[in-house]
Amino acid sequence: MSFAQERELEAPAVSAPLTAASFRPRATPIAVIAKFCRRKPLGAAGLVIILALTAIGALAPALERYHPEDAIQVENPNYDPTSFEPEALAPTILNLKGDPSSTNWLGTDDSGRDVWSRLVWGARRSMGVGVGALLIATTVGTLLGVASAYFGGWFDTSLQRVLDAIQAFPPLLLLILIASNPFPTPEPSLTNLIFALGFIGITQVSRIVRGTVLVTRELPYVEAARVIGANDARTMGIHILPNVAAPIIVIFTIGLATVIIAEASLSFLALAPPGASWGEMLSNGRQSISTTPWIAIFSGMAITLAVLGFNLAGDALRDVLDPRLRA
Amino acid sequence: MRNYIIARILLNIPVILLVMTLVFVVTRIGSDYAEKTAAGGVTGSGSFEEAVEQIRRQIGTDKPTFFVSCELDESLCSWHWDNQYKNFMFDIFQGDFGDSLVTRRTVWDEIKARLPASIELGILEVMVAITVAVPIGIISAIRQDTMPDYVLRIFAILGQAIPSFYLGVLFLLAASNWFGWIPPLTATDYQEIWEDPRANLQQMLLPALAGGLAIGAGIMRLLRSQLLEVLRQDYVRTAWSKGLRERTVVMRHVVKNGLIPVITVVGLLLAGLFSGNIVLESLFGIPGIGALSVIAMRQTDQPLIYGIVIVSAVGLVFINLLVDIAYAMIDPRIRYG
Repeated sequence: MSFAQERELEAPAVSAPLTAASFRPRATPIAVIAKFCRRKPLGAAGLVIILALTAIGALAPALERYHPEDAIQVENPNYDPTSFEPEALAPTILNLKGDPSSTNWLGTDDSGRDVWSRLVWGARRSMGVGVGALLIATTVGTLLGVASAYFGGWFDTSLQRVLDAIQAFPPLLLLILIASNPFPTPEPSLTNLIFALGFIGITQVSRIVRGTVLVTRELPYVEAARVIGANDARTMGIHILPNVAAPIIVIFTIGLATVIIAEASLSFLALAPPGASWGEMLSNGRQSISTTPWIAIFSGMAITLAVLGFNLAGDALRDVLDPRLRA
Repeated sequence: MRNYIIARILLNIPVILLVMTLVFVVTRIGSDYAEKTAAGGVTGSGSFEEAVEQIRRQIGTDKPTFFVSCELDESLCSWHWDNQYKNFMFDIFQGDFGDSLVTRRTVWDEIKARLPASIELGILEVMVAITVAVPIGIISAIRQDTMPDYVLRIFAILGQAIPSFYLGVLFLLAASNWFGWIPPLTATDYQEIWEDPRANLQQMLLPALAGGLAIGAGIMRLLRSQLLEVLRQDYVRTAWSKGLRERTVVMRHVVKNGLIPVITVVGLLLAGLFSGNIVLESLFGIPGIGALSVIAMRQTDQPLIYGIVIVSAVGLVFINLLVDIAYAMIDPRIRYG
C-alpha cells in the first residue's frame, strides 16, 4: 500500500461537515456568505448562476430586444418595384432562421422571432413556474408533514397511504394528467401547470418534513413546552417548525432543478401552455437543427445551466445546513 | 420469509385500490372539458351536443358519479348501485379498460402493442448506465482527490444537469454532422428487435445512450460516496494490513458492500419500465408507452389515458414488490421492514 493511500484512509470521512452551529451566532451575514464561498466554491458558483437567472427573469422586459412573439421584418434584398417576380414584390420580408447579427444577437427562429428575447423570457417562465410550484409544495407539504408526524395515529397512517399511492404514479405522466385538468383555471394554463407541479412536490416535501418532525417531537425541550402548558398550535409553530427550516431550504433549491426540467420536458412535448419557453425552443430548434443548430444548443444550454446552478447550490446548502439529508 | 412476502403483498392492496381511486378522481375532475374536446374531434353526423352525449355514454359518464348523491335543495340523499366509480373499479378488475375513443381498438390492445419497445429501451438505458457508472464510480472513489477523480466528477455533475432530451438532440446533431449518419426517427421506421435487430438497435442506440448517461451520472455519484464510506471501515483496513493486493481489497471487500444502494436505485429504475420514457420515446420516434401517452393526451382520449396510468402505476407497485422480496432474500439483515 502506497503512502498516499495510507494517508487517504486516515482522512476524515468526506470533508468535515459544516453544521449550522459551526457558524458563529453573531457572525454578520457578509461573514457567513464569505465563509460559505470559501468552504463551498462550487455551491457559491451555483448561487451566482441562480442570482443571474433570477435577475434575467425579473428584468426580462428590459433585456428583450424585441417582443418574444413578434416576427422580425427585414429589408427584402430582392426588392425591385419594377419587377413582377414573386420574391421581389414586398419591400420587407420575415427574417426566418436569420443568422446572429448586431440586431438579433442569437439570430431568429423558424418563425422569424428573436432568439435572444425568447431565451430571456424563457428564463422568466422557468423561474416563475419553479418558484411558484415550490412555494405551493413547501407550504402545503410542511403543513401536512408537521401535522402528520405530530398527531400520528389514523391521520398519519391514512395520509401516508395516500402519499404511497401518489408516488406510485410515473411523475411526468401524473404531471401531464393533472396539468390538463381545468383547475384552478377552466382551460389548461400556466397556473394549472404550477399547481400540478406543486401538488406532486407536496408528497416529497411532506415525507422529509415528517421525518424531521418525528425526531424533533421526542426531544426534551418539546416535552418541556408541553409541560408548561403550550397548546398544540404553539408547540408546533414555535418549537417544532423552526427545525424544519433547514431541510425546507435544501428541498426548495434542489426541487427547483427538478421542476425546471419537468417544465422544459412538458414544453418540449408541446403539452405545456404556449409562450416563450426553453423546452419549446429546444423542440423547435431541433426541427431546424441542420440550418440553425444554435437555437437548440443555446436553449438546451440555458436549461442545463439553470439545473446545474440549483444542483450545485442545493448540494452545498445540504452539506452546510443539514448533512442528514445526504441520500 | 413466507410471512414477509404475504405481508408485503397485503400491504400493497390498499395502495393499488387508492391508485385506481386517484385515477378516477383526477380523470373525473377534468372529464367535462375532456369530453367536449374529444367530441370536437369526432367527425360524424349530428350536432356537437349529440357527440358529447355519445362520448358520455361510451365512457359511462352519463351515470351518477358515486354511490351516494345528494340534492342541495331537497337535502335528500339517494343511493345508486350503477355508478361511475363502481363500474370503473369493476371493469378494471376484470381487465376491461374500455375502448380508445380515437382508434376504437381496446385500450389493453393498444398498451400491449407498445409495452415491448418501452421495456427494451428501459433495460438498454439501465445497461448503459451501469456499464458507465460502476467503473467510473470505483476509479473516482479509490483515486479520491486526484486529477481523474476531479475530471470524472465534473462529468457526473454535468451529466446530472443536462436533461436527457437535450443530450439526445446533441447526439443527433453530432451523428449527422460528424458521422453523416441519421438514425431512423419515426414510429413507422421502427422494427421489433426480434424481426430486425440491426434496424431496431440503430433506432434505440441514441436514446439508450442519452437516457443511460443521465441515469449513470446519478448512480456514479451515489456509488462514489458509498465507496468512500466503505473505504474507511475497519474491515477494509484489516484487509489492507493482511497484505492483500489492492485489486482484491477493492473488488472483494469494498465494491461488494458499496454496490448495495446502487442495486436499490436500479430496482427503482426497473420499476419505471411499464411507464416508458415519455420524452425520449417522443424525440426518437419509438412507439412505446411514453409516446402513446403523449398521443393520448393530445387527443384527450380518456379511456386510453387512464388505462396507461393504471398499467404503469400498478406495474410500478408490482415491480417494487418484487424488488423488496428479492432484497429480503439477498440481504439477511432486512426482515419484515
